[in-house]
Amino acid sequence: MDWECCWDRDVIVMGDCPNIHEGDEDLLTSKRRRILEKCSECENFKRDLERFSDSSHPLAPVFYLVHSEYQRQKTQIQSLVSFLDNKTLEIRFMHELGFVLQSSVDLEEVLSVALTAITAGKGFGMNRAFLLLADREAGMLKGYLAIGPRNLEEASHTWNEILGNDMDLKTLAMNFRQNKLSSERAKFHDILEQLTIPLSSHDHITIKALDSKHPMLIEDAFHHPEVNPNFAALLGVDTFLLMPLISRNRRVGLIIADNCITHRRITDEDMHSLETFSFPVAFAMERASLYDKLQIELNRVTEAGKKLKEQQELIVRMENMALVGRITSSIAHSVRNPLMIIGGFARSMLKNTPSSDPKRDFIESIVAETHQLEGVLDEILNYSDSLYPTRDFWDVGQLVESALRDTAEVLMTRGYASGYSSENDLPAVYIDFKQISYCLRTVLQSDINGMGDDRTIAVRSYRDENAVVIRIEDRSRNVTQAELDHILVPFSETRDLGAGLGLALCKTMMEKQGIPFVALAVPESGIIYTIKLPTHKEEQQ
Amino acid sequence: MSKLLVVDDEANIRLLYSEELADEGYEVVTAANIAEATEKLQLNTFDLAVLDIKLKNESGIELLQQLVKERHDMPVILCSAFSCYKDDFSAWLADGYVVKSGDLTELKHEIARVLAKKAQKVKAGL
Repeated sequence: MDWECCWDRDVIVMGDCPNIHEGDEDLLTSKRRRILEKCSECENFKRDLERFSDSSHPLAPVFYLVHSEYQRQKTQIQSLVSFLDNKTLEIRFMHELGFVLQSSVDLEEVLSVALTAITAGKGFGMNRAFLLLADREAGMLKGYLAIGPRNLEEASHTWNEILGNDMDLKTLAMNFRQNKLSSERAKFHDILEQLTIPLSSHDHITIKALDSKHPMLIEDAFHHPEVNPNFAALLGVDTFLLMPLISRNRRVGLIIADNCITHRRITDEDMHSLETFSFPVAFAMERASLYDKLQIELNRVTEAGKKLKEQQELIVRMENMALVGRITSSIAHSVRNPLMIIGGFARSMLKNTPSSDPKRDFIESIVAETHQLEGVLDEILNYSDSLYPTRDFWDVGQLVESALRDTAEVLMTRGYASGYSSENDLPAVYIDFKQISYCLRTVLQSDINGMGDDRTIAVRSYRDENAVVIRIEDRSRNVTQAELDHILVPFSETRDLGAGLGLALCKTMMEKQGIPFVALAVPESGIIYTIKLPTHKEEQQ
Repeated sequence: MSKLLVVDDEANIRLLYSEELADEGYEVVTAANIAEATEKLQLNTFDLAVLDIKLKNESGIELLQQLVKERHDMPVILCSAFSCYKDDFSAWLADGYVVKSGDLTELKHEIARVLAKKAQKVKAGL
């Protein structure tokens, strides 16, 4: 019998077998491999086999049966190999996914990985996915994030871009988070906004899926008895998958995935794979969410620790204040009382001493010197007060008005008029009220000699960024900037311009509280003082 | 003639006040501590009290609180060596506050102001 196939030859040359091509040269000399790999599929061999079957040889039907069975098993093995290959890829992907999810405690990163995995070609290859998060406090399931193209054109562009960059899942997710998270959220904003479903709506298909804790494949959604037509219209697809995210028996969220562009059928296999994937995702999400809460609590604890430290420092400061207070108290009593008695009696004596009495000059000197010493004592005591400011939030209006009230009589005696205007709704300022009140009173009744005609002191308060400015305009004074600067040096001698020690002390007090104090001499227009009071604690530093 | 109670632990200060305030036309009674002040308050009716804050180991603020409670119709002026008490909340109970000085002009003004205010109140029937 002449055979069409080359199976009976030990060695063949290229062209003898229609199934042997370039690269298969080894098979030309290996008869066994050639028969197993090529001949069993070859049309020439099949025809030889038919001819052999038609012969009356007793082994012919047996041989035909064996060959058929061999063919069937070979196909089955190939199918199993393909299945195993797919599963191996899936396990590798799940391993990569698990690794990425395990190493992240950042919720946005976890969500980026999850959604990228669902839509990546290397992952589950779905076209589009929506992530809804369960807000237990609000009792709502809320649309949070989405990924995927909105039309064919965008799909082609995106998928070509991904094909051109051979990126692993982590890189893809990172890329998504850095470059696309916000834009995707904005792109699907209209849908996400409407994907807000009360967790108590147990008849809604999404909540049903959550309650069942198992994935649901919805087909023919527009006519599905359990699907609200508005919900189907919102998604715009008739087939989609609902994948609940459950962690430790708690409803974390839900993923809605579909193939809105390719319309590829979602298989049971897809569902099972996605279900396996949903567990680590849900767990990672819950962990990240707990980590966020932990961070918030940690920040609270840190803040509380900081406050505690501040309180401790305050206590130490108060103790120091108490010590300084005791010292100044002792000075005040030990020095002021004798001064007062000397000065007081000297004044009494002066009243009854005729101007012709040669001792009157001595008594007048005693009166003047004790007055001078009382002034110095005031400065020292006020300076010691300024060492440990105690700050809190205070109302500027109350501060200015009380200072104006306290100085009204002195100003009136000197022939001054004062006025106050303020912006509405000024925020509270963070100051040591006593000290700043003292500073305002000192500025208002500063005894720099007045020389101008306009005896008006105008006070105004207004907002300036994170501060409230108090501006005091005193038009009666006429000094140069150099003279004014000299007055602001603590304990400097400024007899020509009056005592002036109070202003220097005010400047020191305010500097200690980090409060800018500017005294500006305006030629022929008096002095403008500006005090910038902080509205926040940080502004102090 | 208005009758004043002056409470101060320094004998010379009490003397100075007595002299100077008498010159202004007031009748002045002095006390060196809270017990003495309480005793004199029981025996007399005063139009006004001038209190020192630091009375050796006692506090004039305590006496002030007692007077506000028991003699609310009698105004009180605190006269102290410390200016810091002026911003002390407890000192706000007083009708006036003067820092001690050899120049008693401010104290005299304050006494006149507080008494005039009291007279106005009495006139208004408050």
